[in-house]
Amino acid sequence: MNPVLETRDLTFTYSPGTAYAKTACDHVNLTVYEGEFLGVIGHTGSGKSTLIQQLNGLLQPTSGQVLLHGQDIWADPKKIRAVRFQVGMVFQYPEYQLFEETVMKDICFGPKNKGLSDEEALQCAKEAAYFVDLREELWEKSPFELSGGEKRRAAIAGVLAMDPDVLILDEPAAGLDPRGRDKLLSQIRRYHKARGNTVLLVSHSMEDIARVADRVLVMNGGKMAMLDRTENVFARGDELQKMGLMVPQVTRIMARLRQEGYPVRGDELTVEQALEELLALCGKGGAD
Amino acid sequence: MLRDITLGQFYPGRSVLHRMDPRVKILLVLCTIVFIFVASTFSSLGLIVALVFLSMCLSGVPLRMYGKSLKAILFVVLFTSVLNLFYGSGDPVLQWGFMRITVDGIRRAVFVAVRISTLIVCSAILTFTTSPTQLTDALERLLRPLKKLKVPVHDIAMMMTIALRFVPTLLEETDKIMSAQKARGADLESGGVIQRVKAMVPVLIPLFVSAFRRAYDLAMAMECRCYGISPRVTKMRQLHVGRVDLWACAVVALVMAAVVAGNLLLPVWM
Repeated sequence: MNPVLETRDLTFTYSPGTAYAKTACDHVNLTVYEGEFLGVIGHTGSGKSTLIQQLNGLLQPTSGQVLLHGQDIWADPKKIRAVRFQVGMVFQYPEYQLFEETVMKDICFGPKNKGLSDEEALQCAKEAAYFVDLREELWEKSPFELSGGEKRRAAIAGVLAMDPDVLILDEPAAGLDPRGRDKLLSQIRRYHKARGNTVLLVSHSMEDIARVADRVLVMNGGKMAMLDRTENVFARGDELQKMGLMVPQVTRIMARLRQEGYPVRGDELTVEQALEELLALCGKGGAD
Repeated sequence: MLRDITLGQFYPGRSVLHRMDPRVKILLVLCTIVFIFVASTFSSLGLIVALVFLSMCLSGVPLRMYGKSLKAILFVVLFTSVLNLFYGSGDPVLQWGFMRITVDGIRRAVFVAVRISTLIVCSAILTFTTSPTQLTDALERLLRPLKKLKVPVHDIAMMMTIALRFVPTLLEETDKIMSAQKARGADLESGGVIQRVKAMVPVLIPLFVSAFRRAYDLAMAMECRCYGISPRVTKMRQLHVGRVDLWACAVVALVMAAVVAGNLLLPVWM
């Protein structure tokens, strides 16, 4: 697997040299591989946001480097905008960035900034709208007329339309109802599968991360605490708890069952996996 | 970045000056400012400078902060004092062409420079040691007599408080929206004036929308708590004139008396 995004001793300090100086990102060495789905978790204030905002050049690191396809993104500060098209970023509550007269025009904003012609931009925008299931009758409406969930999806489409190599999503499902949450998550997964590009998902929901991520990065106090395959990270429940994080509910239940002596694996990450285990167990029990 | 802008200059602390009643502080500062202009001899002005310097030290705010606020008006101070340099009467010390500098001119120039600097430092002490909310509270109380003239003093104070309260919030919001649009490739930093103004549209529209949303939310929350039902609104934090305030008044009164005495009894040079 080829690395697409790497950081070398990435460090960021807010208000350096003053009494308020705070290092929010401390010598982070991270490698993100092409095509992977990386979950990012961490307590509030653990430096997740600072880290991801450096990955697309919104924040310039105090020291260290960000390499995109092996090139330092700050090698030429004038070309930093080009990086932002390759590393797409969806912020928390992205619906507050909508501004155009119609939804379609808003989704076209990114592709047009990229320098595409009107037709090309429209083509990209339509594809993006398809990925987030934005119905055609909404395209010519004002973005301010949409419902909350529709606004959110329109805003995400605005970033997808730029067709970035790496897509970073910061809490995309925050504030949505459970159904909207599930739907959005499966749309993101579908997008990831269809395009085969790299996705970084920041979330406070361990359940969501467990469902979609191949690998998980755990941030704690501005430092990289863990970076491993999802099941390996969630197997270290005690350490996570010390950082103010949780293991998915179902994993906790299964781990407890194992402690109590039931013959289950104890590292199931999703309800489906657990259900399968338990049904198999019940089947055995019934046969006795 | 936007969040580096500090609005209002409140410097949190627990010094004697921080603990003073904001109404008393405002009145004493006004009084001192008046006397800065009353003082006409170096010794009376010196007394006020000493008083202001003492307050600076008592405020617990690093002197460097005062330096910063002085730096901001350095040009004004220099300009006025240089202008005054040429206005003196008497024998010239230096002369070329119609421009002449006299001892009297130098005296005036120094006097004006000290006056303006003291003035600025004096008001800086007030804003450094009083939070914006305290300031509006105090203003509301001090302006209460205007109620008799049907001036809605309370509403004005409330509006000021809300406006001040939301400045940092909106700044943060602007920062977020700018980041979000930059992430979509918006170019906010280059181009000519017209291009830059145009580039701000994607930032301003969401900002206005969110400001209105916040206003509605806030109005709703205030109505839910029955704002405007009772004609007489009590305060959560009552203002008290304490012993510190009386001491401060006494000190300032003494200095003022000395200033008047100095003006009357001493020659201008001293």
